[in-house]
Amino acid sequence: MSGITRRDVIKAQAVAAAAVAAGLPVPALAQNLTTDAALTGLQWAKAPCRFCGTGCSVMVATKNGRVVATHGDAEAEVNRGLNCVKGYFLSKIMYGSDRLTQPLLRKRDGVFHKDGEFTPVSWDEAFDIMEEKWKATLKAKGPQAIGLFGSGQWTIWEGYAALKLMKAGFRSNNIDPNARHCMASAVAGFMRTFGIDEPMGCYDDIEYADAFVLWGSNMAEMHPILWTRITDRRFSFPHVKVAVMSPYRTRSFDLADIPVIFKPHSDLYILNYLANEIIRRGKVNEAFVTDFVNFKRGNANIGYGLRPEDPREQAAEHAHDANDAHPITLEEYAEFVAPYTLEKTVEVSGVPASTLEQLVEIYADPDVKVLSSWTMGVNQHTRGTWVNNLIYNLHLLTGKIATPGNSPFSLTGQPSACGTAREVGTFSHRLPADLQVANPEHRAHSEELWKIPPGTIPDWVGRHAVEHNRDLKDGKINVYWTQVTNNIQAGANLLEEGLPGFRNPENFIVVSDVYPTATCEAADLILPTAMWVEKEGAYGNTERRTQFWRQMVSAPGEAKSDLWQLVEFSKRFKVEEVWPPELITPEYAGKTLFDVLYANGQVDAFERSDEDLVYANQESEAFGFYIQKGLFEEYAGFGRGHGHDLAPFDLYHTVRGLRWPVIDGKETRWRFNRDHDRYAAGEKGFKFYGHADGRAVIFALPYEPPAESPDEEYPFWLSTGRVLEHWHSGSMTQRVPELFRAVPDAVCFMHPDDAAALNVRRGSAVRIVSRRGTMETRVETRGRTTPPKGLVYVPWFDARQLINKVTLDATCPISKQTDYKKCAVRIEPV
Amino acid sequence: MWRLVRRTWAVMRRPSVHFSLGFLTLGGFLMGVVFWGGFNTALEATNTEAFCISCHEMRDNVFQELRQTIHYTNRSGVRASCPDCHVPHRWTNKIARKMQASKEVWGKIFGTISTREKFLAHRLTLARNEWARLEANDSLECRNCHSAESMDITRQSSRAVQAHERFLFSGEQTCIDCHKGIAHRLPDMRAAALRPDPAAMGDARRFLAAMEE
Amino acid sequence: MYRAAIATLVLLTASAAFADGGLVTLRGETPLDVSTTPPPMPSVVNTDIREVRGWPEQPPVIPHHIDNYQIDLNVNRCLTCHGRTAVGASQAPMISITHFMGRDGQVLAAVTPRRFFCTQCHVTQSDVRPIVGNDFKDVDDVIKAMGKP
Repeated sequence: MSGITRRDVIKAQAVAAAAVAAGLPVPALAQNLTTDAALTGLQWAKAPCRFCGTGCSVMVATKNGRVVATHGDAEAEVNRGLNCVKGYFLSKIMYGSDRLTQPLLRKRDGVFHKDGEFTPVSWDEAFDIMEEKWKATLKAKGPQAIGLFGSGQWTIWEGYAALKLMKAGFRSNNIDPNARHCMASAVAGFMRTFGIDEPMGCYDDIEYADAFVLWGSNMAEMHPILWTRITDRRFSFPHVKVAVMSPYRTRSFDLADIPVIFKPHSDLYILNYLANEIIRRGKVNEAFVTDFVNFKRGNANIGYGLRPEDPREQAAEHAHDANDAHPITLEEYAEFVAPYTLEKTVEVSGVPASTLEQLVEIYADPDVKVLSSWTMGVNQHTRGTWVNNLIYNLHLLTGKIATPGNSPFSLTGQPSACGTAREVGTFSHRLPADLQVANPEHRAHSEELWKIPPGTIPDWVGRHAVEHNRDLKDGKINVYWTQVTNNIQAGANLLEEGLPGFRNPENFIVVSDVYPTATCEAADLILPTAMWVEKEGAYGNTERRTQFWRQMVSAPGEAKSDLWQLVEFSKRFKVEEVWPPELITPEYAGKTLFDVLYANGQVDAFERSDEDLVYANQESEAFGFYIQKGLFEEYAGFGRGHGHDLAPFDLYHTVRGLRWPVIDGKETRWRFNRDHDRYAAGEKGFKFYGHADGRAVIFALPYEPPAESPDEEYPFWLSTGRVLEHWHSGSMTQRVPELFRAVPDAVCFMHPDDAAALNVRRGSAVRIVSRRGTMETRVETRGRTTPPKGLVYVPWFDARQLINKVTLDATCPISKQTDYKKCAVRIEPV
Repeated sequence: MWRLVRRTWAVMRRPSVHFSLGFLTLGGFLMGVVFWGGFNTALEATNTEAFCISCHEMRDNVFQELRQTIHYTNRSGVRASCPDCHVPHRWTNKIARKMQASKEVWGKIFGTISTREKFLAHRLTLARNEWARLEANDSLECRNCHSAESMDITRQSSRAVQAHERFLFSGEQTCIDCHKGIAHRLPDMRAAALRPDPAAMGDARRFLAAMEE
Repeated sequence: MYRAAIATLVLLTASAAFADGGLVTLRGETPLDVSTTPPPMPSVVNTDIREVRGWPEQPPVIPHHIDNYQIDLNVNRCLTCHGRTAVGASQAPMISITHFMGRDGQVLAAVTPRRFFCTQCHVTQSDVRPIVGNDFKDVDDVIKAMGKP
């Protein structure tokens, strides 16, 4: 040890100081002394990241039953070795010290009581009370009175199992995912324009595009790894241009050649102006439009998805048929957009004419390959479906679509909003593979694949997420189960709708979660849940890529996966208790929902193979068959041969995901394009096969005002959203010390002039007040988000500062997605 | 008209018959004070932040950037206004700077930077002018407030101490060498930043750390 | 005033109805329908003392503040100290060699643009204690717990 220098001592001291600061034990002189391969060896396996819709692949290292490291998967095409800061800290998300490890039931004097104290109970007791409440409610009020709120963070088979349990088991379509808050407008936009959900292009478009236009997407923070690809493209090829459009300045503007701050809601105007200019300048790709496009005029004056008694709904002529449209010609369409002139657009949007001209050039120039991308700024919008349609209009008018680099690209928020919510169809109106509950043929097809009696799936469209809260408050839904979502923190208008609904004495609320969230606090029964690599899973990302992972570690205590919870609960019901007698033919008599839905000869058809046994599988052990494989293969039966082909189950465990349709093991990068998509084969270059005539639709849709705008009493726009370091409601990331300390609290980003006028300053406590509620936070006049005068931005990750007490539960009337970006507030110094 | 001029000239040439020499001297002095004072008042009026940001070019671009920085908001609320950094305090230098500024007025009248795009296109030139001036005068306007003599390095962060000891106190570098972009956004320096070239960057010293209170 | 009184009354009665059931959440004692008092805005740790990484691939956190550091189309402030040729003067840690690798894994002559926006992975730390702890175990401790030296 004589070789230790003074320098080494100083270094060791610094390490010690840092270790103490970080609260870590100091491995004195132990550095680099462990060399035994048995000890240094780590078991590495792949998993998609737990957070956003980008779908990065990460490598996860386990040692002795613990996750000890994670890093970006170098073999994954999506991220090629990169992660964002959240992804890099995945190692810690399961280890927050307040993990829920046993069921908790509100009890008083030893029995359930709505206002009782949370008391640990066994799984048996938890399911007993659930069974009692479910059966009583079904008996008294029928399937319309039960509800299930799920998630774009469910694994594919969890979503599928839940869908079956609700729609085929309990015969209730009141199942909706939190993706309703996130992707519903994108879905409705796809269905209206293309007749089939999800992007035609893929991330490869980034490396082909000459220009990027972000419409209401702060990709730098919300899809950081896609942003690395755009940054790479922009810096590596100087001709590339980036336009960033938002009502306030975000980090994405740091890469913007064309920064565009527009007045809230004026995106509708700008989009129609761009279409008008493309037509006026003769830049319509006539050959493409003639062969592949129909024109339609959509119903206008469609309301705001508020409660029917709201005067704004009463005044809306087409609130009841908001989705309807009738055919028009190109000439009629041109006439429709003609009033959207440059002068008027400058006036309405506040965007300088020179900037608008630059945008026109990007779309109109046939030699510029353009990728438009958007997320919540467009989807969380009272005309969200329209804005989706209007963006497609630009790409369809110019024929810049479904070819490498020319791509209208809707980005999803959640890791499996596509894979689970959309593809599995856990929405209240959907079945797998884009099938609809309102369509009798679709129901019959599903019943056949599920081997259940004809007529089992109800024909009524279920209640959507926002209506769930209203129905709970009104006592129309009485038993309610939420999984992988934190809707008390996430749902708009918490004080008037969400909280009164959950705490309504008529209702019994079950919340499955990993940590004690705000939603758990409002629950009656809390079920401790296994997460991420504590179970075998599958997610589907934004570019149609399905990715699998293995169970790598065990969940703590009695925590069980959502899949186990759903399937185990199904054993509690005999078909006689939930189905009407006319459905129960002898082959179903006396069976449980478990027998009918999961032990049906399909889901239980597989045993685990020898190679799987390296990894544990909690659910397969519990049920005695390879349930994930069975569920997936049965589910894949919906899409195979129908444009949604998924590969065989086992293949996904060996690859870094595949983009559907996967045909003969080959994925599809550009759908609708004859050169890339087998479903588009034919004489012509493209086939938009979602519609029977192979054509996409350009929609004539006007500008209409938002549901609520600032006035004298409430003079500010309020916009809400995320920050890079936290995922959604922060239930995981707030428990990772480094992420917590990076951004510990929500703040109210505000223009310095507004702060000065209110006599507040950076760090001042303020009260944000709307017509619906108030919350307190602190003023931030610097930093990553800089709003213009008259607008404030408050992120919603902070459980201690619930901004959704203030927001308005107005939705797009077509998609039913809430507009979290626009309501009117007043700011008061505290 | 010509006659009027000649008559006036004649009056001007003739010695005074009505006013004493003392009166004229004093009067002349007072008038001088008034005019000179007026000139200086006007000069001072142009030497305020309010004057600077009365032009939208300054208000919408550089002033908004300043507001995000430590030179605008900080612990004690003592802050720099535009002329503190951009107008020399010594009279001769100030007049020289003001004469230079007449070119900027010209630019204002002819709209050289009247739009955001034009401003961005000229930003490098504008910034270079100021850097060159501050390099030439050894960062005089910085030092008007930040005197090396008065710095208590025990109250600085360790990396600021290192940098100051190595480069500032030794006289090897001057403030602006490292503190470019401290009050406004920097112009396009991408090539230098992405491929750090010792010659182009004047090696990293110029930007070293700092941004400190 | 009258409205405020009603609102207060409603809040008070509501608080009783929305009892938290004794569950400890990030909100502490504050019921869901009552506003928490926002904690003071913390300062950013500026000690320049490097923190131990939880595992080798963890991006190190930034031990100093970065107020107003410009990272945009024009300039990358971080590289002016952490760039390869800058560390001689700055004595700051050089950015990782992985940051020179492009998407296809090839080492480039300069930092890859895909790593340009440093703050996507590297974050400052506020001078605050997390609300709840984290039981992540360092691999060294896991190995120790395996009962061998």
